[in-house]
Amino acid sequence: MKVMNMVQSINNALEIKMSEDQDVLTYGEDVGVEGGVFRVTEGLQQKFGARRCFDSPLAESAILGTAIGMCVSGLRPVIEIQFCGFMYPAMNQLISHATRFHNRTRGKYRMPMVIRLPYGGGINALELHSESMEAMYGHIPGLKVVIPSTPYDAKGMLISAIESDDLILFMEPKRIYRAIKQEVPEEKFNIPLGKAKILNEGNDVTVIAFGAMIREAQKAVAMAKQAGISVELIDLRSVYPIDKETIAKSVKKTGRIITVAEGPVSFGIGAEITAIVNEYAFLSLEAPPKRVQGFDVIVPLPKGEHHYMISPEKIFYEIERTVKF
Amino acid sequence: MFNEFDPAKDQILRVIDNSGNVINKKYKPDLSTDEIINAYKHMLFVRTADFMAVSYQRQGRMFTYPPNYGQEAIAEAMSLVWEENDWLVPAFRELGAWLAKGATMKDVFMYFMGHEEGTVFRNAKNLLPISVPIGSQLLHAAGIGYSINYKQTGQVVYAIIGDGGTSTGDFHEALNFAAVWNAPVVFIIQNNQFAISVPLKNQTKSVNLAVKSYAYGIPGVKVDGNDLFAMTKAVKEASAHARSGKGPVLIEALTYRKGAHTTSDDPTKYRTKEEEEEWDQTDPLKRLKLYIENNKIWDTSEEEKLIAEFKKEIDRQFTEAENFPATSLEDVFKYMYVDMPDDLKQQMTEYEKFLSWKEARK
Amino acid sequence: MRYIFKFPDIGEGLDEGTIAEWYVEKGHKIEAGQPLVKMETDKVVTDIPSPKSGTIAAIYGKVGETIHVGNPLVEIEIEGVEGDAAIAEAAKDFTTEPVEEAAGVVGTLEVAGNAAFLPSGTEGFDQPTTQQTAVKSKALATPVARAMAKEMNIDINSVKASGPGGRVTINDVKRAAESFNETLTKKQVAQPMADSVSFEPITQIRKAIIRNMTISKQSIPHMTVHDEVEVSEMVKIRDKYKQKFAEKQIKLSYLPFIIKAVALSLKKYKYLNSQLDLENDRIVVKNYFNIGIAVDAPDGLVVPVITDADKKSITEIAEELNIISVKARDRQLKLDDMKDGTFTISNYGSIGGMHANPVINHPQAAILGIGRLVKKPVIKNNEIVAGVVQPLSLAVDHRIVDGGEVTRFLNQLIDYLADPVALLFD
Repeated sequence: MKVMNMVQSINNALEIKMSEDQDVLTYGEDVGVEGGVFRVTEGLQQKFGARRCFDSPLAESAILGTAIGMCVSGLRPVIEIQFCGFMYPAMNQLISHATRFHNRTRGKYRMPMVIRLPYGGGINALELHSESMEAMYGHIPGLKVVIPSTPYDAKGMLISAIESDDLILFMEPKRIYRAIKQEVPEEKFNIPLGKAKILNEGNDVTVIAFGAMIREAQKAVAMAKQAGISVELIDLRSVYPIDKETIAKSVKKTGRIITVAEGPVSFGIGAEITAIVNEYAFLSLEAPPKRVQGFDVIVPLPKGEHHYMISPEKIFYEIERTVKF
Repeated sequence: MFNEFDPAKDQILRVIDNSGNVINKKYKPDLSTDEIINAYKHMLFVRTADFMAVSYQRQGRMFTYPPNYGQEAIAEAMSLVWEENDWLVPAFRELGAWLAKGATMKDVFMYFMGHEEGTVFRNAKNLLPISVPIGSQLLHAAGIGYSINYKQTGQVVYAIIGDGGTSTGDFHEALNFAAVWNAPVVFIIQNNQFAISVPLKNQTKSVNLAVKSYAYGIPGVKVDGNDLFAMTKAVKEASAHARSGKGPVLIEALTYRKGAHTTSDDPTKYRTKEEEEEWDQTDPLKRLKLYIENNKIWDTSEEEKLIAEFKKEIDRQFTEAENFPATSLEDVFKYMYVDMPDDLKQQMTEYEKFLSWKEARK
Repeated sequence: MRYIFKFPDIGEGLDEGTIAEWYVEKGHKIEAGQPLVKMETDKVVTDIPSPKSGTIAAIYGKVGETIHVGNPLVEIEIEGVEGDAAIAEAAKDFTTEPVEEAAGVVGTLEVAGNAAFLPSGTEGFDQPTTQQTAVKSKALATPVARAMAKEMNIDINSVKASGPGGRVTINDVKRAAESFNETLTKKQVAQPMADSVSFEPITQIRKAIIRNMTISKQSIPHMTVHDEVEVSEMVKIRDKYKQKFAEKQIKLSYLPFIIKAVALSLKKYKYLNSQLDLENDRIVVKNYFNIGIAVDAPDGLVVPVITDADKKSITEIAEELNIISVKARDRQLKLDDMKDGTFTISNYGSIGGMHANPVINHPQAAILGIGRLVKKPVIKNNEIVAGVVQPLSLAVDHRIVDGGEVTRFLNQLIDYLADPVALLFD
């Protein structure tokens, strides 16, 4: 057992898989010598050599495109796209090829690639460093999208992602890279992908969140508890596939649900969860499903970001209103 | 070779002239008579199949098809040089190369009829599917090149692109990455003078396309792509360079797209008959045939009989393709993931319920 | 005051650093935020800023020496701060949360301290168990059925379900409402035989009345006090001014006096003008006095409100009353006319009846019932004289209004009504 933050637990997962499987390699901008701008790949080049952990030239489209070539020829690349906003140059390779190769070749070629993508705001950053577009990625067929919220989950989920033969987008909530420390077993373990996790059982209302928003939601749950409201808190953990079963079961118990997510509200995660709840738990609804999400605006620069980022009060406000409906 | 034919000086490697006479003995590759005859027969097969494909499309039995007419020597040269385990990363206009790698006409027909199965090229080893987004496949080639170095397998990757594709960002990124990585990739530009209707002069200000190799620090050569011997020589030298660990090479193969861009294109709208006739002089089959006849290594009167046999075989494969069963509902879902999410399975079963309901109403 | 600055954990979970360069020495004056020393750690080489302003009294460690996190680095003499203020000053933090620049690039990240960490999870190690507890037996119902149940004040979870999949349907809810009403009225519904019964639909007003009466009687413990007031003075005054008002097209009844008296009395006994807010654990005392008058309108009982009755003159109140009664008669009363009442008067006496136990207009705290004027013999100055007596029946919410309070209010009201001139003084 060792106390780790998320940066360290992801590093640990990479180290374990690279030791175990010679076909696993990792690259991206600044991934090699510097160990990544967030230090996530620190020490890997020293341990495994520049052949297996290296700095690529600066071109996201090429980072993803070459990883596709590596996949068809038997390697298992874990690529890092340095910041959420820089995924966009690679979108063509992602949507036109990576998500399609397995289908296009009827399974002859697989894409056992993991794309690591630090995402999310609240870090006082420049433009394009605070994106939260998980709903957009969830909408693309052929792609699986997962998001951990704790160091423990990050390690187990990344190991599963690397071992999966499917194309996986591993979105890392950078705001909490260092903000949470947790005891994490040093040996290898897997957390199966595609399952949500109930963090707190409750009866009055379900709150579902993921990534950096879990912390804010937990604070709101505490506020609710003081007000006599019992909240069931679920960590979504997987945008695609989405755990309909856990969500529906919870709503059948509480009759109410609030989705909390940073990204823009329209056509987003909350909209999907609301649809799921309507289809699978309609008769149990006691209040309309609500969404506490970002506005349909570009994430403001630091001086205006506080308007946009979701606070525990905002979540509690909605919890109260939903319970009183 | 790279030093003697410097793209910056717009020099071009050519071995035989338009009449099939050897004009550069030094660079004539060492091919046996059998190899030359077989090469001609392959090119003839490809041309025949290509014409028939266009015909099938016009008969309404196949959808849009991109003809290879006039570019046959480039594909053939590759197949004369490459080793069995080498990789081919195609664009969409190198029929001869796909066939040489193990794909069948049936595959090709199936693809252009709309069966996903077509571009799987099931029996071909190390052949990627046809790439629709122009230029994007070169990055895949660079990645495969990296794998080859990583595993030290000694393979080479042949990556094809057209003149239009050299304008894309991916072309530049791929050459750059492959160069930095010393990846064993032979990049071949099929410069057939047109990107649909846009001529080369509107695609680049560079003196030619091979000169772009300078930007990446890799060797480049401009070669007469309709000259089987020159093309073979160029591919041979390039492959040796790559396979020896010296990194990627850029070949610009000059050719002419004698047909339309696809069966939905009308070249009369953007080029003249005079131009077409001028380029006709450089036709690869014509030149090789003249060489064969000049050197009396094969009786070309056998050609007609051969073509008739080809047509029979091609038609047989076309019929097989026509009889290939339509895509099942399951196939639409089955290959999305290695591990299909329950949700997707459910979408399929829900749809099946709808189909039963529909059936019952009849 | 001497402040000892210990080498802080500069946010990467470090335990030590090496001194690369000192920027200060003993005797130097330093401002808060100015760099003290350059420290080298495994990750970064960085300047440590001073948390306080003052004079350097001592520095610990030479260049090249390693210092552990938590050990003294510098002593600063903070000028002019002594005693308790000094202690407070020392306790103040320079930074609130430890933050870290993501190395070389954009953004600042929050860093957890060393002391607080979460316990490990267990997934991936144990047998997967069913995570969720069993679903409580709650009703299945569409939003429409739920809305209906809510409107009818029925707990949907107690309704017998007959719909598909065990669903509570709209008809189920209706049926439950009917049987609920039955238990309330304890009436057996007779088997309808031709001509022995007739059926009338329940109007919206009637529905509202049913709802309000039910809630009121079910949730408020009513306590009624009956009393009488001798109002010959009021009768005299009214008779004197009746004509004058009639000339202005205003009908002057006793009600304006009563309303005014009630308003002024409520000012002194505020709990009768309040509302119990159990949800928030409080009593809402209202500082405005909107007196509702129960009116027998053609469709049923309605309670239009005279707002700010304490501020309005008797004339204004009389005018408003006239308008209200016309509106009520013509079915012109709007919701706005009837909202936010704080106290209600029910003047059944105008029709007949002396004593009653009126039903409080929920969520108010009290209601005053006024019976009919009766000429009666009364004792004045130990002699029997002819008097005019108005019966009063005051019902209150006994949870908020105690016996003492209600009688004191009533006494005040009676004082006003017995001697209306007193209304001028308050």
